[in-house]
This record gives sequence, structure tokens and C-alpha cells, in this order.
Amino acid sequence: MMRRVSLMIACLASAAVAVAQDQSLEFLEEQAIREAVALAEPSLVRIETVGGLDQAQNVLFGTGPTSGVVVSADGYIISSSFNFAAQPASILVTLPDERRFPAKQVAQDKQRMLTLLKIEADNLKPAVAAARDEIRVGAWAIALGRTFDLANPNVSLGIVSAVNRVWGKALQIDAKLSPVNYGGPVVDIEGRVMGISVPLSPQASGELAGVEWYDGGIGFAVPMEDVYAVLDRLKEGKDLLPGLMGITFKTGVLGSPDETVVDRVRFNSPAFKAGVKSGDRAVELEGKPVSRLAHLRHVLGRKYAGDAVKLVVERNNERQPLDILLVGELTPYESAFLGVLPLRQQLDPNAKGVPIRTVFAESAAAKAGLQPRDVILKANDQELTSARQLSDLVSRLRPGEKLNLTWLHESAELSGELMLGSYPDSVPAELPTESLPAAGEAAADGPKTGRFTETLPAQNRDFWAYVPEKFSPQASYGLVVWIHPGGDTMDATIYQSWKTLCDRRGLILLGPKAEKVGGWTPLEAEYVKDCVTWMKEKYPVDPQRILLHGYSSGGPFAGHLAFKYRDTFRGLALASQPLIGTLPENEPDLRQQFYLVCGDQDPLFAAAKATADGVRAAKYPVVFTPLPGEKHVYPPEDALDEIARWADCLDRI
Amino acid sequence: MRMQLVRILSIIAVLMLGCDFAAAQSSRETIASVSPKVVKIFGAGGIKQLYAYSTGFLVSPEGHIVTVWSHVLDSDAVTVVLADGRKFEGKVVGAEPQLDLAVLKIPAEGLPHFQLADASTASPGARVLGFSNMFKVAAGDEQVSVLHGVIAAKTTLAARRGVFEAPYHGPIYVVDAITNNPGSGGGVLTTWDGRLLGMIGKELRNAQTNTWLNYVIPISELSQPVEEIIAGKFTARRAADSEQEIDAASLDRFRPGDFGIVMLPDVVARTPAFIERVTLGSPAAQAGLRPNDLVLFVGEELVQSVRMLREELGRLESGGQLRLVVRRGDQLVTVELPIPRKED
Repeated sequence: MMRRVSLMIACLASAAVAVAQDQSLEFLEEQAIREAVALAEPSLVRIETVGGLDQAQNVLFGTGPTSGVVVSADGYIISSSFNFAAQPASILVTLPDERRFPAKQVAQDKQRMLTLLKIEADNLKPAVAAARDEIRVGAWAIALGRTFDLANPNVSLGIVSAVNRVWGKALQIDAKLSPVNYGGPVVDIEGRVMGISVPLSPQASGELAGVEWYDGGIGFAVPMEDVYAVLDRLKEGKDLLPGLMGITFKTGVLGSPDETVVDRVRFNSPAFKAGVKSGDRAVELEGKPVSRLAHLRHVLGRKYAGDAVKLVVERNNERQPLDILLVGELTPYESAFLGVLPLRQQLDPNAKGVPIRTVFAESAAAKAGLQPRDVILKANDQELTSARQLSDLVSRLRPGEKLNLTWLHESAELSGELMLGSYPDSVPAELPTESLPAAGEAAADGPKTGRFTETLPAQNRDFWAYVPEKFSPQASYGLVVWIHPGGDTMDATIYQSWKTLCDRRGLILLGPKAEKVGGWTPLEAEYVKDCVTWMKEKYPVDPQRILLHGYSSGGPFAGHLAFKYRDTFRGLALASQPLIGTLPENEPDLRQQFYLVCGDQDPLFAAAKATADGVRAAKYPVVFTPLPGEKHVYPPEDALDEIARWADCLDRI
Repeated sequence: MRMQLVRILSIIAVLMLGCDFAAAQSSRETIASVSPKVVKIFGAGGIKQLYAYSTGFLVSPEGHIVTVWSHVLDSDAVTVVLADGRKFEGKVVGAEPQLDLAVLKIPAEGLPHFQLADASTASPGARVLGFSNMFKVAAGDEQVSVLHGVIAAKTTLAARRGVFEAPYHGPIYVVDAITNNPGSGGGVLTTWDGRLLGMIGKELRNAQTNTWLNYVIPISELSQPVEEIIAGKFTARRAADSEQEIDAASLDRFRPGDFGIVMLPDVVARTPAFIERVTLGSPAAQAGLRPNDLVLFVGEELVQSVRMLREELGRLESGGQLRLVVRRGDQLVTVELPIPRKED
């Protein structure tokens, strides 16, 4: 009896030992991890690069091996774009069986920062993808690389921390991701590849964004399913770019319900073409309800240039569905230039067409043979009744586009197809003035002419002005708003310099005065605007030719006014001062032109030139005139004459 | 009958207890058995970013302690604090700087210790525990800090100059855990079930990847020197030997011209190693090298620039064969050239 019992106990005991040894959770987990690695590792390759840059953006490029994953049996391999940020001269791929191949870069996915390579090899083992919607937070995540040892992949163990991070692009895991495993697979406990590890950051973009978080317990992996979804497009050799719509939302209202209200739609962008308007409220994108800007970004974060998305906006309490075709690049708006200066006086108010005063040399109009006194009747099949109409039409075309014109030349009707150019960056050396209608009898209670001072009733502040003595109410005048430098209103100088110019070119001079002797403050912008409004009420001011003129320390305030009231001021002329402040985006409804003049011995010369180049790059019409041998001075007579000529053709088309 | 039942039950109980000892240790048990064997070391430093503390582990009952060779031991007064809070003055009884190794001795007996002969090995994916006094968080009778992770890789600390600023160039475990912190050097790495793997190294930056490296020196590299030190039979490698090793790295024994190769000028730091031309009749010409070949491998070493190529050639030994792998268009071509005999 005892013997049988002892035997039973012995069996039980050894069984217990066996159970204890083989079934402990820690042991089983370790086994499972090893097996998962073994299942995935035949698709893991080593990548080495030769040559390239040393560093960029204060990040030193590493030179060690990196990793990649086979995605196609005929030799396509995916890796992180970080591994190629240094633009290497040569790329080598080593397979698990130690065979080495030179590799070509085929294409990049610039939204998810992946690069596709090709080697001349066959029968490779593509990675098996895990289903994206089956990935759960808390699941094991094993990051692999082949950087230390060719035979055994290096392992980093963690869990899935979150799904749909970085605007829907990536899984977040806490395994240690760094150059030792970027480009390699992140594997689940069953050996399927959940994603490819890449450095990413929700706040920045580019190959190097997110690298500063290496080994930090936060790392990202682009889901393998998403990689396979775009593989065919990448194989074609074309880079995939993030998709852009061209909508700007209101700033400063983040967190409020208004953050999804459209502020501006860039001219000719996909949103513009689809019919999105300023003031629309975005409510749904690709079937997903949108109440926060973040919702929009989450959907867009996974869309590429060339993808079509369905946007629903609310306009006047009605839902408007719109189809938008995303693009990779939004080109800045640039107005086309025809090359004519229209005549301002309409001798016969019922006459049709746009009479021409001057044709600019080497412009599209000049090449087509248009001449002064010709009358443009039709543009692109539209009958023209005003210069404004022609200007709006041309401004919505781009340089290089065609325009069909019909015009009258000495009673003969001519037609032609013109190719439009861009605004010239110089002012014509000679510009015949337009003769103004004769001044009638100055009415006793008529508006003042000559030089005078006036007080704004509401604010009890003064300004001075000069209206040409031979003033005629039938003419339309340009308005030059003079912004004086701090400490010196320079009225006398300006009056002396500009009197003849104003008389000749039909300009009214307006000289607001800063409250404090020291200089202007931004709060005085409204006062200046009020002065302009006063002028417009009393005198026939042409809204197309209101410009600001600032010198030296008056320049920054003049720039501030130009950008604050873009619908009022059409031009900004700065003397001896660079343009300060952020340049707003150019658009057809708020066209502005710029003029900068500076002595080349002026210490501000280089800065002034640089800002002029910046304005040109933003596709605004800009003229930059250096004054040889001059230091920091108010421009002399002939330079001022050029500014006056520029002011006289602000309404050129 | 009842007596029999009691006897049966007690036998079962004993056998069950025995089972616990026979089965693999859990990590909890490992921590309990390892922690008393790890000590906290305090010594020189404390100025200019040099921390004044590190870790060590007991390898004999009389108090021999293995730790990293570092500035902390540069003091006449090195204090060792055991897991139970007892303080001893430690003396350096031997060191091998080439292995980053030092052995201390404290006057004690009957201490819990590791048997170096029982040390084990592990492969990537193995779960491990690291024990160290990182950031000197443990003081007095507190046990050192425990980390968990897995073995990331088993590899060698690269021999090429400039990749790692460390004298040790042998095999290491790279650990997927932040084991190497200020004060961690000299700590210990074991498997989750208590098998001793290695000594935690110092803080080290990998110049190839620009990342910090968490590495452990396997016991197999350290056990023999430690035994010899304890037995009093150890001689550190001669300074002359180590100097020679350093010199070897900056040697200029052979140049591309010795083989008849003219390289493209070295304009930027990473100018790839393109061959500009090959001298007629030279060994390079005979081996089939051509202009515009991109030299990729010298032996097993990847050369990423002309500078690296010169370094590799500088290190060659006279006689024997030089194996080069070059990229020609889209192909990889291997050539062998005889290395000429040179007088040193």
C-alpha cells in the first residue's frame, strides 16, 4: 500500500517538476518571442551605405548599417527614409543568407518617410502583414534590426502604446527604436509584421523629424498593411507626396467651435476648384464627422497627392458636398501681365472697351502690336466695359497662359492670341503723362487745393495735404500717403520734392502726423486709415492708386499699414528701409505692388535688397532700385521721379 | 491509518518543496538571490561631471569584488557598502584596463557570492535582469536597482578607431534596456532565471549610429583574469603591448599606390572610395581593377570613404592576399591581390 502511494507521489512530484519547468509564464513568453523572431527574420535584410553628407540640420549622420524588409519576392525592399537622408553614393543590401547586392532607390513615400529599394535577386520572402484593425494596444511589439550581427537579428521588446498616431499614419510602441532598427519590422507575438519602424514626429516633418526621441520609450511604426497598399504605386518609380487641399483656417480660434471655419482658399488650389468658399464650415471629410481641426488632419494624414476626397461643408445652414482632388504642391498665386496702361479719362462714358495710354516695352501687348490709343474690345470672348474688368480677368490668369484679344486700331478691328508674361521688375524710363481735364472755376465752397492742414473731427488730430492747384473734379487722382520717419515730419522737404510730381502725374499727397515726436506706434493705424477715408470722401481718389510711401524709420509703420489694410493700399514704396514683417500670401482680390529704393552705401542696403528678393520670390510685383554712391538719404529728384512714374502706372494691366 | 496519512502528506510536502528547488527560478526568486551579491562602491570623483560611485559584485566568500576599471577607484579610500548596509574599505588587488576590469578586496568572510565558473551564455531575445547602483539611488542597506529587458544582440565592440572610445574591443552583449547609466558600471546581468551572464560596462557612445550603447561584458572574457588576480598570479598586459595596439591603428604600412591604385581625391569627409586609375602592369591591373570601380570592402570591413580605405590598407600585414569587393556599375566584383613584402 505504502509502495503504491510512494510511487504515486513520486509520479506526481516529477510531473509537478516538469510542469513547473516548462509551463512557467516567463519561460513560455520567452519562447514565444524567440519563435516570433524566427518567423519574421527571413524577410529582414541589412542595408549599408557608402558616401554622402556628413550632417544636415545639426544632426550628424550615422554611418552604421541599417535595416530593411522584403516586400516583393522579385527584389523590392522597403526601409526608413532616415537611412538615406545623407544621400549616399552607393547602397548595399545583404540578405540573411549573406548574399550581397547593390541596390537602387526606386521611390519615396514622403508622407510616411519610407524608401523603396530594388535589388537584382529572386525568390525572396516578402513579409507577412498583420491586419491593421486587429492590432491592440498592449500587445507585444518586437522591433528587429540586422545591424549588429548578420546571422542573428537584434531584438528590442515592448508593447503597442497606441494606434493611429501622427495623424493616422503610425502605430506607437515603447520598444527602443533608434538607428539600430529604423527600417526594420515591428513584429507581433505570432511573427507577423505589424509595421516598419521609422522616426516620425507629429510636430515636424522631414527625414530627421523624431530622431531626437530615439530609445526614449516612444517610437513609431508605419503599418505594414498601409505599405502594401501603396507598393504598386511606389514600384512605378514616382514619389508619393502628402495631399494638400489649399485651405487656411482661422488662426487664433483653436479650441473654439470656429476652428473648422475656412478663412482663405488659395487661388487655383484643389479646394478653390472644388468650390470651397471663405466662411464655409467643414463638417465631414471622407464620411467621418468633423468638429475639430484635429479630425480633419487625422483623415488627411493618410491621404496622398492624387487622391480624391469628399468634403462636406456647411454654407448658409445647408450641407454642400464637394469633391476635392489633392495635389502635392500648392503653387503661390502670381498674376499675369498683359503690358498696357489704360487711359483713365473716359471721354465718352458710353464707349465700350478699354482705351490704351501706354504699351510697356517687351510685354505681351507690345509683341502683339498693340499701340497707344488702341481700344481693347474683347478679352477671351468677354466684351469689356471697363479697365477694372480687364484687370480682374488678367489677374486670374498665370504668366504663360494664353489670352485672346480683340482691339480697335485706327478704326480697324484686330485680333490675336497673346501669351501673357509676368510683371516687370523695373519702371519705364519715360512715361508720358495723361493730360487731366481742364480745371474749371474753383467753386467757392469746393474742396481745398494747394497745401493745407486739416483736423480730423472725430479724433482731433491733424494732418497736412497737398492737392494739385489745377485740380479738376472730373479727373481721378492717385493718393500718396507719406509716412514720415520718427522725430521729423519732413513736411517741407516732401512738399518741395513732390509738388511738381503731383501736379504732373495727378497725385494727391497726404501727410498724417505721428502723435509722439519719437515715432509711430501700431495703434495709430486707424488714424491713418481715417485720414485716407476723409480724403476719399472729399476728393476723386482712384482706389486703384492709393499707395504708402515711407522713408527710414517710417518704413516699418508703412509696411504695417500696407498689410493691415490690404484692400485699401495698392502699393508700398520704401526708401532706405528693408521690408519688415511677415509677407501675407498674394491673392487676386488683394493685389499689391512694391517699390524699394536704397543707396548702395547705406548700411541697410543688403537687407533692403534681400527683402526685395523675398517679395519677388513670393510672386508679388516688385521694383528694386539701388542709388549708386548714396548713403542713408532721402532719394534725390530723379529717383523720386521714378517713384512717381511707378505710382502713375499702379493700375497697369 | 491517520499516522500513515500524516506521513504521506509530509512526504508530499517535502517533495513539493523539493520541486521548487528543482524547477527553473522565477525572476522574483532571481532578484532575491542576486541582490545580496551586488555591492555599492563609492570613491573618487564628484567633480566636473565625473560621478564618484559605481557598482560591483562578490565572487568569493572572503570579499573579492569584480567591478569596472574607472576613475572611481583612483582613490586611497574606496568604500564598499553591502546589501545589508555594512561598510568596508576596499582595496584594488588587480586590474586589467584592456578589459575595463578591476578586482577589489574587502576584509570579510562568509559573504554570499557568484560562482564565476557557473556563468552562462544567452542569445538575442533572452529575458534578462540587470542589477546596479545607477545614479547611486541605493544607499546604506538598500538593495541596488533592478532593470528588466532582453538581450538585443551579441556582437563585438568595433575595433575601428573612433567608433567607440573604449579600450575593450572584445565580445559584448547589447542589452535592450537602459542598463548603462552613471554608476552602473560593474553591475551584473543575469537571465530571468538567475544564470549569470556578464558585467555591465561603462557609458559609451556609438559613433556610427550616434546613440548611447547599453552593453555587458560576458563573464567568459573576465573569469580567467579574475581567477588569476585572486590567486595572485596575474600580470596585466604590458603597457608596451597596448601601445603597440594603438600604433597599429594609425599605421601607414601600405598605401593604394603600393598596389598600383590611384584613388579619387579626398575632398569631403565622406568621399566614396572611387578608383581614378590603375597603373599599367601593377598588381591591381593584373587583378582586373578598373577606373570608376568603387571599393566597398577591404577583407570583411566596409569602407565608406577614401579615408577609411587608407586606414584599412595601413593596417595590412606583409605577405598574404588582399581581398577587395568593388562595385562596377550594378555588379559587385571580388578581386584578390598579393600584398607585397615590406620591411617594418
